[in-house]
Amino acid sequence: MDGARTLILLAIVAASSAASGNKLISPRTKIAVARSPLMVNPSIEWNKLDARPGRNAETWTLDGDALNDVTFYGGIPAGKTLFAEVDKRNRPLPRVSATMLLTDIPPLFENSYRIALDTPLMNIDSVEPMAFAGSKGVRFTYSFTRQNEEVHRRGEGRAAMIGGKLYMITYEAPILHYFDKSLAAFRQLADSASF
Amino acid sequence: MKMLRWVLPAMALACFAVSASAQEKTGNRPGFTLAPGSARIVLMRPSIRVGEQSTGGMFEPNADWTDQAKENLGRAIAAAQSGLGNAIVSYEEAAGVDSGRVAEYRALFSTVVDSVIVYQFFVGNRLETKKRKGSFEWTLGPDIAKLPGLQNADYALFVTVEDHYGSTGRKVAQLFAAMAGVGMTSGVHKGFAGLVDLKTGDLVWLNADLQMGGDVRTAEGAQRRVSQLFEGFPGRTGSRPVVTPLISKAAVPAPTTTSAAVATMVD
Repeated sequence: MDGARTLILLAIVAASSAASGNKLISPRTKIAVARSPLMVNPSIEWNKLDARPGRNAETWTLDGDALNDVTFYGGIPAGKTLFAEVDKRNRPLPRVSATMLLTDIPPLFENSYRIALDTPLMNIDSVEPMAFAGSKGVRFTYSFTRQNEEVHRRGEGRAAMIGGKLYMITYEAPILHYFDKSLAAFRQLADSASF
Repeated sequence: MKMLRWVLPAMALACFAVSASAQEKTGNRPGFTLAPGSARIVLMRPSIRVGEQSTGGMFEPNADWTDQAKENLGRAIAAAQSGLGNAIVSYEEAAGVDSGRVAEYRALFSTVVDSVIVYQFFVGNRLETKKRKGSFEWTLGPDIAKLPGLQNADYALFVTVEDHYGSTGRKVAQLFAAMAGVGMTSGVHKGFAGLVDLKTGDLVWLNADLQMGGDVRTAEGAQRRVSQLFEGFPGRTGSRPVVTPLISKAAVPAPTTTSAAVATMVD
């Protein structure tokens, strides 16, 4: 995050200081996420950020979303984007389709990130079938670098189409130190997903 | 990821001034002390970027300003480091070393400090897990000690400077915003100085502010900036001034190996 971005974020925080703020997520307690019926049961403490990336999404972190970011997408319906449009007229985000195949999910995620981050340095590195929240699902890994940043990040996601809606959990962090440090905690969260 | 997604919709909100009183600027890891003359500190190549802030608030790099700042800050840091209480040597990359890895650690330092500012220093937004009494737990990870050249050192000192000077358009927008009764910031003047314990990779001391003083495009301004950067530096000797008086380029005595290296190593 560059200085301007940090300042903007602080301005948002200052402007919304009366809001409820970030919340502590206690371990070993089943909790619904992303305003959806999707539940997870964390094994460690997390912080739930007050700011949401989208209407049906929420972010948990340990040290800030630039260092470790778990985002839950709680049933994105057909015709909706993963997160808010950044330039709808010139670079519209791809939309979820009720008829999407599992293999369509990683490309949707990749293209959404390329547009939202305005970077060509975003790649899906692997895709494999893996059950998610009791349904047939997909596990994928990815890597990306933000524009004007030298920090390389790695990510992992689990997703499934359930009842025509997209449910997904992603984890991403800088490759140096942070990704490996909390990968097990993320996988535990993803494995605990249920309805 | 979310940060960038917020940028555009946040532009309007950015008009609100950040409450300076709610923000801390210095952090120390609990229990950390550093006696003068007790440690060997390696100064990593400072990261310096200078440019203009567009009317919309975006950063536009300026190569000339950046070069001026590198020269001025390099000289000011070299002049200041002898007053910091411990032996500070400049990091020297061994031949054949992956310079990208060193650069990535510098970038990671900036990212960690950005997170410290947003999620710890700004009290109203502090993460719940960072609220425990005396908590200051931030790290670059223990593997930083594996960088060639750091094996015999105790600490690594990172410095980041990034200045966005408000363009004419930005200043006009600021004026109109003020007339409309809305506060709008013009310019970013970011300065981070942080000490990393090479045994653990933990950040043990940090001085960080997004609105530091001193115009880094001038020698005097760079001295002021460096003075602010090293304010409260651990192990600093008593009232000894951090910044030595400005010496004109022509009158500079033959520099020591270390100070000469610092003056030319900024990036």
